[in-house]
Amino acid sequence: MSDVTLDALPPRRFSWRRRILEGGGLWPAVPALVYLAVFLVAPIVTLLGFGFVTLDRGQVADGSFTLEHMTGVLTDPLVWRLTWRSFWVAVVATTLTLFLAYPVAYAFSHLQGIWRTLLLVAIISPLLTSALVRAYAWIVILGGRRGLLNQTLLSTGIIDQPLQILNTSMAVLIGMTQIHLPFMILPLLAVLAERDRRFEEASLNLGAGQVATFFKVVVPMSLPGIVAGFALVFAVSYTNFIIPQLLGGGNYSTLAVQVYEQTIVVLDWSRGAALATLLLGSCFLMILLITAVGAHLTRWSEVPK
Amino acid sequence: MTQSLFDRIGKAVLIGLACLSILLLVGPSLIVIAISFEPRGYIAFPPSGFSMHWYGEVFQNRQLMDAFLTSLRVAGLVMLVCLALGIPAAFAAIRGRFGGKSALNAFLLSPQMMPGMVIGIATLFFGAYFAWRQSDLMLVVSLSVFCLPFVVRIVMARLAALDPGLDEASANLGAGRAQTFFRITLPQLAPSAIAAAAFTFIEAFDNVTVALFTSDVRARPLPVELYYLVQFESTPMIAAISALQIGFSLIVLVILARTIGLDRIGR
Repeated sequence: MSDVTLDALPPRRFSWRRRILEGGGLWPAVPALVYLAVFLVAPIVTLLGFGFVTLDRGQVADGSFTLEHMTGVLTDPLVWRLTWRSFWVAVVATTLTLFLAYPVAYAFSHLQGIWRTLLLVAIISPLLTSALVRAYAWIVILGGRRGLLNQTLLSTGIIDQPLQILNTSMAVLIGMTQIHLPFMILPLLAVLAERDRRFEEASLNLGAGQVATFFKVVVPMSLPGIVAGFALVFAVSYTNFIIPQLLGGGNYSTLAVQVYEQTIVVLDWSRGAALATLLLGSCFLMILLITAVGAHLTRWSEVPK
Repeated sequence: MTQSLFDRIGKAVLIGLACLSILLLVGPSLIVIAISFEPRGYIAFPPSGFSMHWYGEVFQNRQLMDAFLTSLRVAGLVMLVCLALGIPAAFAAIRGRFGGKSALNAFLLSPQMMPGMVIGIATLFFGAYFAWRQSDLMLVVSLSVFCLPFVVRIVMARLAALDPGLDEASANLGAGRAQTFFRITLPQLAPSAIAAAAFTFIEAFDNVTVALFTSDVRARPLPVELYYLVQFESTPMIAAISALQIGFSLIVLVILARTIGLDRIGR
């Protein structure tokens, strides 16, 4: 009789429907996975591959594997000079964003009501505005004699010669710092808003001053946010080619600007691909380094095994 | 509470830096909006008068209006593609019961790790393989890869916060799985889907780092057009376009605030 009871189980033809509606499977993600495989993974592989082959009008010449482009890029002193410039511009801009972002994020965690909302609007609205708009704003402010900064300083008599800021590294640094500020504030906001205030109270009750409490309790507790923000802002600064081009002037170049120029202006795709590989590789190395240093600095927060 | 001098200086430095930083965040945008009302042909701050002259110039500029329409069309398509792919993917990433879920999440969010320029160049090179040239379609494809993580992240956050008790209650009250899915689960996702749509739209509409490489050279989208304009000119007309873009982004900001709340954006 046991066979009969087995037959009385719910009919199996409904089970596929049930499984779909439960959403327990991988299948809903399949379209996105296929899409990314075709339009992200395959293109990236193509990009990396193009650095190692000879191209003939956009087509790979047969059996033309070569290290020529890669060695050409790696032995070019100009490439190394520009990589170094990209690196230090990104490091300085990222450090400046950290010093400007931290006080805002800290202030935010102490604000209430309408001020809190207004500050949040001030932080998020630049994120939704094109970086071009903000780069243009800096051209207007820093620009030559007609620039707003020079107009103001000249008319008030603080200076008698216009300052030359636009088309220098200084302008690139100012632009990058300001444009990437929200990327640094947001991760800090998350850790600082959720921190346990009792540690600070304990520190103050035990006689530490407010400055000491800030540097010995608040800052160390927010290290994960600092590391996340630093890695993110470093990556976007290092690979940005719009800001150096618009604020650095026509002759100002970085590694990222070179990648753009080789692929769009010079149309040397092999060299462009080799430079892009160098850009991506060095960027990932730096991110790994930042995360490793971050993990080392926050190792006290892990549960000892 | 009494404060030592040292503490007071520390507090002053902190407040000073915070004010400088807030000024940097909003100041440049406000200056751009102000100079867009300049009646004369060159930039001055404060503007010498109030006029909508440069806005008129923008709307009469055939090339800019074409670029605007191209961007509108492209951003709309990118939004649809990302929602269609991203919402189900977020479902699998949160509700799925299978091995390798963290690998799935990492892969779905991986475009975020790539600079826009790299996605743009990679798509351009990949297309060359099939003699597929820069076009609106290539722009939509490359931008949807770039924007997909935004949808996945926003919808995932909402799905993870849903109360499974509601689904159970629905089942206990006799609703079938289909009914529970369409009448309980999906409506709860609506706000995050709207937020994801708005965010994706503005990111696709504003994007220049991907678009410079994959957009049609004869029918440029607005950001690419603007990029070339900014490089060679600085008329108040650019300020007018910028002010319009800022207005656009404020609309998106309101949508985000009303749907998922501004607090959640950075998470």
